[in-house]
Amino acid sequence: MTLRAIDYQAVLALIQSLMQEAKVVAPHQREGERQWSFEEVTEPANVCLEYTSTVLPPKKYAFPTQERFLRYELGESPKAEPIIEAEPLVLFGVHTCDIYALNCLDIAMTDEHVDPNWVARRKQMRIVGVDCLPDEYCFCASMGTATVHEGYDLFLTPVDGGYVVEVATEAGEEMLTNIPTKEATSAQVAQVKAHLNKKMQQEHKLDCDVSTLPLHFSGVADSELWEQHAERCYSCGTCNLVCPTCICYDVLEQLNLALDGGERVRVWDSCMLEEFATVATGENFREERSQRLRHRFFRKYSYLFTRYGQPYCCGCGRCVRQCLVHIDPVPILNDVIAESQKGATVRGA
Amino acid sequence: MALNVSTLKAEPNLYTPEMAALTEVVPQTELETLFKFELQSGNPLGHEPGQFVQVSCLGIGEAPISVSSMPCPEPTFDLCVRNVGNVTAALHNMTAGDAVGIRGPFGHGFPIDALKGKDLLFVAGGIGLVPVRSLIQMVLANRDEYAAVTILYGFKTPGEMLFRDEIAQWQEREDVDLRLTVDKPHSDWDGHVGVITTLFPELEIQPDRTKAIVVGPPIMYRFVLQECKLKGIGDDDIILSLERRMRCGVGKCGHCQINNKYVCQDGPVFTYNDIKFMWEAI
Ligand SMILES: Cc1cc2nc3c(=O)[nH]c(=O)nc-3n(C[C@H](O)[C@H](O)[C@H](O)COP(=O)(O)OP(=O)(O)OC[C@H]3O[C@@H](n4cnc5c(N)ncnc54)[C@H](O)[C@@H]3O)c2cc1C
Ligand code: SF4
Ligand code: SF4
Ligand code: FES
Repeated sequence: MTLRAIDYQAVLALIQSLMQEAKVVAPHQREGERQWSFEEVTEPANVCLEYTSTVLPPKKYAFPTQERFLRYELGESPKAEPIIEAEPLVLFGVHTCDIYALNCLDIAMTDEHVDPNWVARRKQMRIVGVDCLPDEYCFCASMGTATVHEGYDLFLTPVDGGYVVEVATEAGEEMLTNIPTKEATSAQVAQVKAHLNKKMQQEHKLDCDVSTLPLHFSGVADSELWEQHAERCYSCGTCNLVCPTCICYDVLEQLNLALDGGERVRVWDSCMLEEFATVATGENFREERSQRLRHRFFRKYSYLFTRYGQPYCCGCGRCVRQCLVHIDPVPILNDVIAESQKGATVRGA
Repeated sequence: MALNVSTLKAEPNLYTPEMAALTEVVPQTELETLFKFELQSGNPLGHEPGQFVQVSCLGIGEAPISVSSMPCPEPTFDLCVRNVGNVTAALHNMTAGDAVGIRGPFGHGFPIDALKGKDLLFVAGGIGLVPVRSLIQMVLANRDEYAAVTILYGFKTPGEMLFRDEIAQWQEREDVDLRLTVDKPHSDWDGHVGVITTLFPELEIQPDRTKAIVVGPPIMYRFVLQECKLKGIGDDDIILSLERRMRCGVGKCGHCQINNKYVCQDGPVFTYNDIKFMWEAI
């Protein structure tokens, strides 16, 4: 790992130089609002590197909200061919939670079968991370995602006079070729550590070590807690749609106007929506809202955690920030933990 | 980057169907039809009994359908489809010569090796016979590799019976104990009447050498599983096939998930032991 120091002007120059060779996307603040979104950079100075969270995660660049993946011709001898659209892309200013989430999806998208569209986009993606400080909804410290160790080429931490930049890959090294950087001073390195310490101070936290979460889920399937928490839920699916670790999708058919061909498109889907598990015979395997809420939590903190060895939640807090009734994973998880500990004492008694 | 793409096996055609021609339409019941297909590539489908394919009617959509014929070296295979919605209706509007797209075969089929040498008890309800037919065909074609073969097949009314000609052949075989039942008395039926579980009391089963293959609607599982348990068949020796909504067929879209399993990847065939603690399974 190499640490360099870079000042703000040089960061702008870096963005500018990246724009010469690829599309660069970065957080931009919505005018007059405390809301940010990843957009294509047209003017480096408009990039906002100090932000809490974007509404949609940068996942949208690896897994677009709508992605055409098959083109077909109808008629005498119908045929179909894949559509795999990818271009060189730099994600600039990505937080650790979102880097973690992309790494998570790398595993899910390539396990057993390799999703060609995901891989094509990820192959051409370079990532410049930036460190942040949490708001009241973040719980990355609990999820172990306040730091990441892979999945980025450069990583910036704000210090006096600019940033300390960690050069993590050769691609990162190349990005800095013509950019003025200095040796990071020991004072600056100390500031990086202090920044992380500050980031780790989070009130919004889990009552257990994240690695034990799946264990706590083992005895709570029948708990009333799911109904209690689902009571306020509208089943609108927003929580899934803003989540950087959600991956579920639906498939739609788009015929062209001449009706002689068309495209197949995948769109983000949500397991909180009523019809998600409905089959053609009309049977719905998760009819109740509480069953769907339970599924969402089991999937993130138990099923996929156990399957892939890490939680499918990065603690970014987007779901609670966007939820109309502020359904927050942390109190729900803490109820799960409490319930499972209660069960353990009863069983032990 | 975290994703080490150099070590990944590329699957550029994961979501691209290959084309197959509909060669024959064999009407079955009011709702179900048997379709015979031939892959244009000339290659065999390469499936195992119990696996499914994703069938595309381009412009309409895609649906998971079990392969209903036994594996064979030719590029041909059968699907038996119930007309319930967009894709299945489009299939029913097709005639010989029309083309569909096929992806797969996907999922895990029946555990053939574990069945060898055993008494086999097939319990099929309604359209549940569709995936089981592939296995029955294979067992009957290699009859000496298995011990006793009992087939229970139940349907609501006589008109809903599938594969009549083939079942007549099974009925004639001395090495197959075939028992049919309809749920309620019917003027066209002089055979056994009653739900499928009413066939169980008469069965003589040696639980230590029996494998039960149970496929039917969710409601049937509950009752049939109980009967299997009463007969002393082990949880590992009861094999079932589950159905869920599916989109991708390859463990990505999340639709088919039952607790921690993907039906499209880990199933559709499971043992009862695999799923008995999964509260979403049945
Ligand atoms: C592993 C497996 C094997 C199968 N094998 C067979 C087989 O061998 N033969 C067979 O006939 N079937 C089989 N099925 C079932 C078959 O896949 C479905 O019947 C088929 O997908 C229906 O597709 P469709 O496009 O015709 O219906 P759709 O048009 O998709 O839907 C039909 C009905 O489903 C419901 N529905 C669908 N989409 C939605 C939605 N978005 N929201 C709410 N409700 C909705 C509605 O009630 C609708 O009327 C199998 C399923 C699985 C999972
Ligand atoms: S965003 Fe909130 S209200 Fe909507 S489905 Fe999610 S938890 Fe329920
Ligand atoms: S579940 Fe909520 S906190 Fe966790 S990754 Fe998704 S949006 Fe972020
Ligand atoms: S059908 Fe998509 S995950 Fe199983």
